[in-house]
Amino acid sequence: MEIKKGKYSLEERGLNFNLSDDLDFKNSECCFYFRGGNGFGKTSFLEKIIIPGLKNDNVQYIYIGQDIRTQLYTLRALLSVQGIKVSDNDEVELLRLWINHSKSATVFILDEFDKYFPDYGFIFDWSDSFIRTYIIVTHLGYSRPDAVAEKYRTCNVRFELVDFDGRLKNVRVKKE
Amino acid sequence: MAIYNLDEILNTYGDGYLILEFNHLFISSSLREEVWLLQRTDDDAMVKKIMHEAEEFDIHDAKGDKDFDTYSGGQKAILSCLLIIAVIRNRKINGLKLLLNNVLNSVSDDNRSKLFTKFEGIRSTHNTRLFTDKNDHIQEIL
Repeated sequence: MEIKKGKYSLEERGLNFNLSDDLDFKNSECCFYFRGGNGFGKTSFLEKIIIPGLKNDNVQYIYIGQDIRTQLYTLRALLSVQGIKVSDNDEVELLRLWINHSKSATVFILDEFDKYFPDYGFIFDWSDSFIRTYIIVTHLGYSRPDAVAEKYRTCNVRFELVDFDGRLKNVRVKKE
Repeated sequence: MAIYNLDEILNTYGDGYLILEFNHLFISSSLREEVWLLQRTDDDAMVKKIMHEAEEFDIHDAKGDKDFDTYSGGQKAILSCLLIIAVIRNRKINGLKLLLNNVLNSVSDDNRSKLFTKFEGIRSTHNTRLFTDKNDHIQEIL
């Protein structure tokens, strides 16, 4: 799945994106890091542009969103329906089971997961045998440790506010 | 292992600290309602003050009645900090111990720096002490 450079408008979220470079999510093994100020549309870009594109191309993905509380409740219920029980307080095991049951996915999206686990290498350990592309929203200034960097090419993507016209934010999205 | 254990945070720190936790930043759905709950009156001046300060963080579209769900996660974290700072100033609360859980790491570096400046301000005027989560412990950062 590829998102071509150009303009993308999300008026309902008050955002206009100007994507300066093509973003190619089909070439393996790449780790995209999305960075930028608060409210510049990183999560909106994920949810309204990338994920619909993945769905359109029938690309399977795993998405761990910012509001992990709701997601964990949902995940526990989903696994329970499938007959898989997880103890009440073992949420890391919950994630491990979910990832282990999602091996048809080739894209893994993590939105600020590092605030819960600054060192989240276990996510890669559990998934790098089948995931080809990671998309990571982060406010940390550094990328994943060497082990991941060796296997996955790093692509840093910056969201920059160009201006705000009183209604819409114009945001430049570019590779660094 | 728990990724997210609010009960443990409350049990351990709930008695001695005011806790801002990323997944539970607000009770209500808008800044005006939140101010009303904390001030027990429709304090339009406080709402405007917070909206004005929010502009320093590139939150130009803040409004008193705008639903919190329409802000980004980081913007909500910033607004919650500005709100508590405004209340501390307004009610002249002295010596409060404030614990930020998964809040500061939800904001960009420059916004974090601006928040620190504001917290330093109320530390000097209201002796507010600032703590944040670090692995399984908390640490005092201001």
